[in-house]
Amino acid sequence: MTMKVLVVGGGKVGTSLALLLLGKGYTVKVIEAQKEKIPQLQKDLSADAVASGNGTDPVVLAAAGIVGVDVVAATTGQDETNLVVTNLARFAFNVPRVIARVNNPKNAWMFTPMMGVDVAVNQADLMASLIAKESVTE
Amino acid sequence: MRIIIVGCGRMGAGLALTMSQRGHEIAVVDKDRTNFERLGPSFKGETIEGIGFDRKVLLTAQVERTDGLAAVTASDDVNVVIGRVASQVFHVPRVVARLYDPRKANIYGRLGLHTISPTIWGINQAAEVLCYSPLDAILNLGSGEVNIVTTEIPPLLVGKTVSELTVRGEIHVVAISRAGKPFLPTLGTEFCWGDMVYLVVLATSTDRLRTLLGLT
Repeated sequence: MTMKVLVVGGGKVGTSLALLLLGKGYTVKVIEAQKEKIPQLQKDLSADAVASGNGTDPVVLAAAGIVGVDVVAATTGQDETNLVVTNLARFAFNVPRVIARVNNPKNAWMFTPMMGVDVAVNQADLMASLIAKESVTE
Repeated sequence: MRIIIVGCGRMGAGLALTMSQRGHEIAVVDKDRTNFERLGPSFKGETIEGIGFDRKVLLTAQVERTDGLAAVTASDDVNVVIGRVASQVFHVPRVVARLYDPRKANIYGRLGLHTISPTIWGINQAAEVLCYSPLDAILNLGSGEVNIVTTEIPPLLVGKTVSELTVRGEIHVVAISRAGKPFLPTLGTEFCWGDMVYLVVLATSTDRLRTLLGLT
């Protein structure tokens, strides 16, 4: 059985993640709320890897096949949206693994298992530590 | 009681004033301090400028010792996040979140977050005013010998069971829509205020049904 991953948010992060996972042979579906972004997304990924709609809407999540996925990744640019997705994924749809992008490090404290998050990826912290590491030259 | 109200729009401000007049200790949070003007000069509670799910803002509003919190910003997502954080992280005893989207209101209700949806309420109220006809036929079977009709449960039947509105072979309750969510009841299901009831009824028993519903 191939891994099934549902990505909420078809921005740069979501698209790159989807491409990476598709390359590994996973079954991937990306939900994107902005209709005008759908055609480009379908071109970049594939038509059946894209679903149009708001990922905070339980009906949209169900239609995109959240029931039975192995992983949900909430990668939108809005922390409150990502948290609503993680809550729904874990507590309404019992998704076994839930990963979320933290946009504003000030919000990192909310990305916990209580809010349905297994792994929080804090982009600002990650970038900062990478840049700091690269800045230190012997 | 000490109450935190997040979002100082029409609802947040009105709620703050009402609760404050009742003698409660109120803290209102809004990201835009010009919204506090809605509270008027008579408001005696605290106003805190900031994002409602900012930990510092919540701590400034003394979320750890508050008795209740209402999340009534313009964003459903923000309200859900604040509501979940208040109850899950800070164990606020009473939390309510306002949601415009009825579908979310239903699902979060099931997840234990107390939600209120002015949309559902508004739809039901407007529909009731516009289509005032206590018993609406939604489907006629055959030539109308058997009809499926719908009605809002009258107050006199609230708390009563489906069996009290059932006449074998004549009147059966086939579905109840509660807070916008339909389900199939059993004979023991109790009616709640605001339930829309769907009944299948023999045309010849329509008057009997009207009597049972107290419509005559």
